[in-house]
Amino acid sequence: MTGHNAPMLSLWLGAYDQGLAYASLALGTYLTLRVLNFADLTVDGSFALGGGTAAVLITNGVPVPLAILAAVVLGGLAGTITALIHTRLGVNDLFAGILTTTGLYTVTLRVMGRSNIPITDITPVVNWPDFGQGDDGRWAIALTCVLLGMVALIALLLATDFGLALRAIGNNPTMARANAVNQGLGLTLGIAAGNALVGLSGALVAMYQGFADVTMGIGSLILGLGMVIIGESVLRPRSVPTALFAVVVGAILFRLLIAIALQLGLDPVDLKLTTAVLLLAAMSLGHIKLPGLNASPQDAASEPAAIAGSEAEADPLPGEQP
Amino acid sequence: MSLLVDKLCWGHTVPGGGWRQLFANFDFQSPTGEFTVVIGSNGSGKSTFLNLLAGTLHSNSGSIRLHDKPLQQLSDHRRARRIGRVMQNPLEGTCPGLTIAENLRLAEGRRRSVISWRGLSGVHPSRADRRRYRDLLEQLGLPLADRIDTLVGQLSGGQRQTISLVMATLGQPQLLLLDEHTAALDPRAEATVMALTDRLVRQLGTTALMVTHSLDQALSFGDRLVMLHEGRILGDWNARERQHLTPESLREMYGAARVRQTN
Repeated sequence: MTGHNAPMLSLWLGAYDQGLAYASLALGTYLTLRVLNFADLTVDGSFALGGGTAAVLITNGVPVPLAILAAVVLGGLAGTITALIHTRLGVNDLFAGILTTTGLYTVTLRVMGRSNIPITDITPVVNWPDFGQGDDGRWAIALTCVLLGMVALIALLLATDFGLALRAIGNNPTMARANAVNQGLGLTLGIAAGNALVGLSGALVAMYQGFADVTMGIGSLILGLGMVIIGESVLRPRSVPTALFAVVVGAILFRLLIAIALQLGLDPVDLKLTTAVLLLAAMSLGHIKLPGLNASPQDAASEPAAIAGSEAEADPLPGEQP
Repeated sequence: MSLLVDKLCWGHTVPGGGWRQLFANFDFQSPTGEFTVVIGSNGSGKSTFLNLLAGTLHSNSGSIRLHDKPLQQLSDHRRARRIGRVMQNPLEGTCPGLTIAENLRLAEGRRRSVISWRGLSGVHPSRADRRRYRDLLEQLGLPLADRIDTLVGQLSGGQRQTISLVMATLGQPQLLLLDEHTAALDPRAEATVMALTDRLVRQLGTTALMVTHSLDQALSFGDRLVMLHEGRILGDWNARERQHLTPESLREMYGAARVRQTN
């Protein structure tokens, strides 16, 4: 390896690792926003809660897997609260999420005890191979394995009757209700699962960057949505498994673009604005309608990235006027 | 008696304040397998009656029993397990982002509690499921058998309503509710869907209620014709009695009822 190539490889590998760490945020966003058609702002709170929880536990000597599990459980709990506010009290989805996120700020601060916790020493549970790339290589191998398993699991889950019912709730709630789908329970479990994934991402990102901050969740929903949109724009998925894969690819591409911008001399202070502009560009290029929700019954026929469909055009019934 | 509605009361607030009592001590009965067509002018309570049966509206008092089970005591999704429903709008009755096979699978699972561990048992619709749906659509003479992996959103209105109708009859419903389900279709698609409706209702042998504005449909389909006006039954004819009715005589009855109401 030449001296010139080494920093470039490190840049690529770092962006890949960060993309993988953020990928479960994107998967969680995909689950709530795309599958359930639920604009869930809890994500901003559950991401920080996941990161903060993992940081506190790891610095107190709790084994990493247990710390991650706690972040996942608390993220899921945060999602459950939003879902119950929405389904039991009839509060609008956006307001339910904002309410939970507002409350979660205090909860995260209480859990952390202070606004920022550095994570200096992580004891690896598995001695992952690094292929000569040090910690970056180990992270890459570990996260790739974990994410592949997770994508396979979510794809399998969405292919069952349970997953079909969740997709129906997001696609046409009236029809789902008419077909005896328990919408309240479905939404609750789906939103809890989505936020559990976000909590996991918060924990992974905190571990990777070496600290957790109480404000680390700000803008997470938009970040997750951006990753979903970039992945969908690039891969144009036509089935659930490829859509999940596209989401992961979107997360990696997004982090890569940020890394390249920083490499080109972007001031880190301008990072949030750059992120917003990047996302806007992705949304415009992808011709995907905001707020990035599922196709409504009216426009589904013209939805380009519709899931699992054929190219067939509408043919009339025998005797029906075309 | 399959469907027994007893002293049903339902009303709603009207713009500018006030209360309109649409149904007051409304009684209705239908034996198993009876296909009832319900007609009436706008605001007569036809669709409201179906919504009260389906549970999308909740009665103020009175009881609705289906095969002796009080429906009002059931949660919405438990009630929906017993009722197949076709909506007026073809866009409402199906999931456009799911394929035909997925829509049929969802309807077939109506009797199961899919949001539970039971819903995790295997990948569906499986190859066997799809073969079964293909056979079903072929038996019904529908040209959709080779398109079960097509998104329902890519079908025409008539085709969607056909799928919606087939879905409503899957999962052994005890009651079938058809709410002006051909109103949004052109005449030829309407004829196709009505022929299929008649066939499926007969095959299923379940109690069915169809709301329509079409007097031709009212005089051609079903075992019984009921005319509603202002939440009351204005006329109730069996198939034999119905033979003496004409579209004109039904229109005259509408007109007379309206005059009585104005006076």
